[in-house]
Amino acid sequence: MNDDDIQQIFFVECEEALEATEMGLDACKAGTHDSETINAIFRGVHSIKGGAGAFGHTALASYTHCFENLLGDIREDKVALTPQLTDLLLLACDLLRNHVEAARGSGDIPDDTALMEKLEAARSGGVETIETSTGEITGDSIGDDLDLDLDLDALLDDLTGDAGATSEPQAEDEAPSWLVHLRPHAAALDNGGEPLLWLRELASLGGICEACGQADIPGLDGFDTDQGYFAWTFRMPGSVAREDVAEIFDFAGEDCGLSYDNDPLPPLKLRADTPAARSNAAKEASKAEPATNAPVDKAKDIRTAAPAPEASPASTASPASTGAGIAPPAASAVAPDKAETNSEGQAQESKPQPAATSNSANSNPATQSVRIDLAKLDRLIDGVGELVIAQAMLAQRLENENFAHIEELGLLDTLIRDIQEHAMAFRAQPISSVFGRVPRLLRELGSNTGKHVKLEVFGEGTELDKTVIERLSEPMTHLIRNAVDHGIEGPEDRKAAGKNPEGTLTLAAEQKAGRVVIHIKDDGRGINREKVLAKAIENGIVSEDANLSDDEICQLIFAPGFSTAAEVTSVSGRGVGMDVVKSNVRDLGGRITIESVEGEGTTFSLALPLTLAISDGMIVQSGDLSLVVPLTHVIESLRPSPEDLKGVGTQRTMLNVRGRFVPVISLGAVTGAKGWIDDPCKGVVVLVETEGHGQAALMVDLITDQRQFVIKSLDANFRTVDGVAGATILGNGQVSLIVDVDHMVRAAVSPSSLAIAA
Amino acid sequence: METNQPSAQDASSSQVRVLTVDDSASMRALLRAALTSSGFEVEQAEDGQEALEWLATNEVDVVLTDINMPRLDGFGLIEKLRESALHAERPILVLTTESSDEKKMRAKNAGATGWIVKPFDAAKLTAALRRVAH
Repeated sequence: MNDDDIQQIFFVECEEALEATEMGLDACKAGTHDSETINAIFRGVHSIKGGAGAFGHTALASYTHCFENLLGDIREDKVALTPQLTDLLLLACDLLRNHVEAARGSGDIPDDTALMEKLEAARSGGVETIETSTGEITGDSIGDDLDLDLDLDALLDDLTGDAGATSEPQAEDEAPSWLVHLRPHAAALDNGGEPLLWLRELASLGGICEACGQADIPGLDGFDTDQGYFAWTFRMPGSVAREDVAEIFDFAGEDCGLSYDNDPLPPLKLRADTPAARSNAAKEASKAEPATNAPVDKAKDIRTAAPAPEASPASTASPASTGAGIAPPAASAVAPDKAETNSEGQAQESKPQPAATSNSANSNPATQSVRIDLAKLDRLIDGVGELVIAQAMLAQRLENENFAHIEELGLLDTLIRDIQEHAMAFRAQPISSVFGRVPRLLRELGSNTGKHVKLEVFGEGTELDKTVIERLSEPMTHLIRNAVDHGIEGPEDRKAAGKNPEGTLTLAAEQKAGRVVIHIKDDGRGINREKVLAKAIENGIVSEDANLSDDEICQLIFAPGFSTAAEVTSVSGRGVGMDVVKSNVRDLGGRITIESVEGEGTTFSLALPLTLAISDGMIVQSGDLSLVVPLTHVIESLRPSPEDLKGVGTQRTMLNVRGRFVPVISLGAVTGAKGWIDDPCKGVVVLVETEGHGQAALMVDLITDQRQFVIKSLDANFRTVDGVAGATILGNGQVSLIVDVDHMVRAAVSPSSLAIAA
Repeated sequence: METNQPSAQDASSSQVRVLTVDDSASMRALLRAALTSSGFEVEQAEDGQEALEWLATNEVDVVLTDINMPRLDGFGLIEKLRESALHAERPILVLTTESSDEKKMRAKNAGATGWIVKPFDAAKLTAALRRVAH
């Protein structure tokens, strides 16, 4: 991911923040002034400011800073939010949008001086109705806000050689200079402080090191490399405030002794005196304990041997010797025991198991989770899929040998089903992640269309495959946009129809027979079938004399190039949409259906598979070939009577399905199977629906089974074959090809491209 | 949460593992880019709650957290981490646009190790992280 990609994420965030801000201001305008609304507005501007700084959009950053200051005052009740001020904020928000556009590169940086002056003026009571007294108070607090300095940033400037950040030399000698004494303790290093940086920071403020107290440095045998032994004295110029120096040590706190001018030097604080040091020593001691049988003895040995400077590195690393000379020997002798009782005590506290170990991970009884790489998980699920197939093959083989009812087989079957279910559950996620985005969408639509819609959600805990969830949000968004834009009427129309002026959108998810069904229901005007039919005829989607059922008319809105919106709105209605929704859902192996009652509303129902790894298929026989037809394409199967069939030319046969003619395609012929039944009236016809080529009737010998199958890619194992979507292994171990219905029908109805491989 | 494999440029054996906690996707992406290119191993969480759950079973060398976040903010995260034996001494740096003394004191009292103000300078940030990670 490069910088540009990251910027794109930022602009998406800006968009969301702008919407949230606008939404909040609209609410203010409508009279809602509660702290939550104000907070939302503040957060929106605040987040844009954060990113603007990070991406170097200085104009945007300084404008949002100004805007945020005013909002901060409003949030803290320093400035009253009057209607005039709300209007000003709305103006500011519009300008903010222009600023964001400019940062994105699609516009010039707007002139914000006038408005920024107004925002500043509002802070100090510039908007007419605000009392001057509050204004003055806020005016003062601005200064404080802006003066604040940074901690680690400032400290680290020097370290990273950021020359520009060093402060200007202090030349004024008017105020008397003063002294600061500091003594970093061991804890300063332990807790991540950097005494060297503090010294440099003092120097950059103009401080001069006058003395370095070395009186406390112990002999070599008592030397602790992590302990501070020096006491520094710096002379600071009089122009530097004591607070500025104190601020450097903000985060050091007790880890660094400080005193000023004639006060005595801060006393030496040894690491053994601090609780952190003690626990540290104990921790290290317990770590080291298994390695050495008698750490105490060893420490003694080292000390009595009076280590020469070339003492082995092990002696400095040894925890016992670290404390030697500072802590009495007894302390180090106690430490390992203490550490042990400690950790054991913890483990017993949280889990009273007899086999309590000193493993600290056991001390946290909260729900535990493990994060796994998705690819690893998919390999597992793939493996489970294979296992299911292998089990089926085994069962079939045993059955052939008359071992069908052995007990172990049943057990194996149960276990494998269990494993499969659990493996699938790994990938499952609650649908609430999709539903959760809907309120925002509705607010956005509300502000664009003026239709206020109440949301009701059921079954948000229903779980679906992660991939399905991810790919679901696009069609869902489309359906919801359509429901609000075309389905739900404007408030006036609703009142006239005797409905609540506020529309209701209901989202419900439930698991049903191995699929998840999602209902998207609005209480709008419903589908006007006459209008839909007229439009479809006008657009040439159906012929004028077509005799369609109500259901079939509803289905027309999924036809490519269909749009009934009289006016194209900003929300939807550009003629792309529902057909895309349908193909999206079908790509997921799902189906979409409509129920609509005119005047009462429309319900779209999406039936989705629990997982993409396994699909439902119809196993058909054609001559000597077993083929799988994905169930998502299948509408119905039937055995036609001779009068329903009509020959067209020499090759084609059409089937009359309740008044409509669909082409009959012989699966046996296109796949080159041997010995297939040539007469549809003796075999079976499977009516399928395709993308872009309408319906077709696939002629097969018989339907043998309907089952779930695991798709194996043919490209990966062999090569791409037109008309074949992949392969699967049937229960009897036989490899069966999965029919690519779309491609096969397209090739069969346009004779020029008859290129289907067996 | 995703894990980035560290770039090959840092071959040193002791790689510093950082958990960044920030609700802004762009900030997460920026941090990931800045830290992985400096040889850090980066884990990410979107808010305090997610960080807390993840840290219940995982170890990092340093936690770098934002303050303003939904569900569980930075202060809450630090307090909760300090309560658990596992993270009582974990270095925790705060990275935020906030810069008021009051907030800094709150963070320090909660147990934060350091405070860095956004927008961050990558070199400074990595130096701070290396320093506190020991």
